[in-house]
Amino acid sequence: MDVEKETLRQMNCEFNPLSRCDGSVMYSQGATGLIGAVLGPIEVKTQNLSIDGSYLECNYRPKAGLPQVIDRIREAAIRDVLELALLSEAHPRSKMSVQIQELEDRGSIDACAVNCACLAMLIGGLPLKYSFAAVHAIINEQGEYVLDPDQSETQHQRASFTFAFDSVEGNLLLVKTKGSFKIAQFNDIECLCRAASAEIFQFYRSQVAKYHGRSEATAKNET
Amino acid sequence: MSMNSNLFEPGKSKPERSFVQLAVKQNQRLDGRRSNESRDVELTFGTDWGSVAVSMGDTKVMAQVICEMGLPSLSRPNEGKLQLNVLLGGVAFLDEAYSTHDQRSLKLNSLLERTFRSSKCIDLESLCVAAEKHVWCIRVNVNVINHDGNLYDASSIATLAALMHFRRPDVSYKDGELRIFKQNGLEFTPLLFHHYPVSVTYCVYKSSGQPILDPTLLEENAADSVIVLSFNSYQELCSLTAGGTAPTNAPIVMQCARNAAARCKSLLDFVRKALALDEERRSQGDRSVNGLVGLILNTEHKLSYNKLMGIQKQQQQQQQQLPPGENMELDNESSETPVANEEPSKKEGAGAPMDTSDWLPHDEDSQELPMRSEAIPSKAGKYKTNKKTRPRKQNNSDSEEEAKQYI
Repeated sequence: MDVEKETLRQMNCEFNPLSRCDGSVMYSQGATGLIGAVLGPIEVKTQNLSIDGSYLECNYRPKAGLPQVIDRIREAAIRDVLELALLSEAHPRSKMSVQIQELEDRGSIDACAVNCACLAMLIGGLPLKYSFAAVHAIINEQGEYVLDPDQSETQHQRASFTFAFDSVEGNLLLVKTKGSFKIAQFNDIECLCRAASAEIFQFYRSQVAKYHGRSEATAKNET
Repeated sequence: MSMNSNLFEPGKSKPERSFVQLAVKQNQRLDGRRSNESRDVELTFGTDWGSVAVSMGDTKVMAQVICEMGLPSLSRPNEGKLQLNVLLGGVAFLDEAYSTHDQRSLKLNSLLERTFRSSKCIDLESLCVAAEKHVWCIRVNVNVINHDGNLYDASSIATLAALMHFRRPDVSYKDGELRIFKQNGLEFTPLLFHHYPVSVTYCVYKSSGQPILDPTLLEENAADSVIVLSFNSYQELCSLTAGGTAPTNAPIVMQCARNAAARCKSLLDFVRKALALDEERRSQGDRSVNGLVGLILNTEHKLSYNKLMGIQKQQQQQQQQLPPGENMELDNESSETPVANEEPSKKEGAGAPMDTSDWLPHDEDSQELPMRSEAIPSKAGKYKTNKKTRPRKQNNSDSEEEAKQYI
């Protein structure tokens, strides 16, 4: 197993930069940055009303112009993960609105968008069954694995993978692959990404603890 | 819980309105600013050309310019196109209801269109590659990220900065074959400008004759009328929007116009300076942590108006007296616009504190008493008459306001 790079890019986030929503976050991973905002539970249109659980609205906005097909696909991926994680039974007959705004796309935008959505949900206080983290990795031309690649590294790739994991049992929530690869390589990369996801969960924990003004140690003991 | 977010706009309820009215009457603002003080403007440039984020207090707007080759319109076959597109919603959670959304986005869009398109600030003919066949279509996408009042200024600053920052790739057109050179970012060419317009917003209240600059959302919603003025660096008026029900009279509008013209100029200076700094950073190859990611925690990439212009403020006041040559030119070119008309009297009084009376009567003169305005060319004489009439005129305008309020 050849690993070119097995560390995530520097993660950064700022909580509640926006004033009009229940929770918002500016999240960046390397040079890729997004803003996520959540509002909920709020009034729902009758056509979307469900008595079993809340309706989830998820929108992804590209940096410029109206969403294209690729943005819709990304949006659908985020919604799928969110629908799994959201404890929708907690608020029937209501709507949860999640909006993601792309700021800068410099690689791994799919994974960053999922992470951004999770942080926004956490800080907005919407009920979740578990938090989740997504990791992106590629196999480059030389057949080496590159975790969380920058845009410059993705130009000549054989295959790209995006995995999302939950925080409680470590189950796979999302698998997205492109390109050609062997199943052994898939398994290798899944292990690599799973290990990296732990780092992201740690980041969530420390950032949220910091935001709420508690030391990380006490936060850890309680979780 | 479970309420439409529209209802939560501050300033829509009666107590809030009367609070703001009362505060304005006492010449106070909730955030401690003076009436002619604006919030700090921060610019952050993205890694792509023509990508910029502007924040004024909590109001945050992002603009991105993109270009593509397209067909020109039939009526203007040798001109490129400029399209402006404002997108509300998204993370701003503005106007989930369709009716208000439409109203707001149309208002913003039309303001930007008038400021940038109708004022012909960009040399569209330079965007033509082959007449009737290939022209550049420049599209500005303005994304509202957060709304805390004064979206007009934020989006116009964002649009201007994005257009000035933008570079388009070079093209060649030979024997009916079009080639676009996209390999090297350094050979891109910036857009050509005729002038640089930017807008300034004022709110006027029934309770006070003093308009306030750069309103927050609370102040904007509680306002009786909102005046948006766009000026370019030559202090020519590019667009004027005044609506609402406040007893706005000519002196108030003219006072706003004069202050706005000065502010627009300094805003443009600020954008220019910010662009120069960005250019410097780019040439140093500092691209690793660059971009809109700089919005997060990292203050280094935010270029603040107060910081960049703060030291220069005093110098500028002195400089205002300096370039009379430029203004003379202007006077000749466009002596019909009211602002250019007022230029000389303004320059003379530049050292003095802001006082409208030394130039406002001049305007009234030219409208009501054509005899006097003919006698004006001797400048020294005019200055004297202005000084003489100052107290009287001020009294006049005050009594007018009072009368209107009581009506």
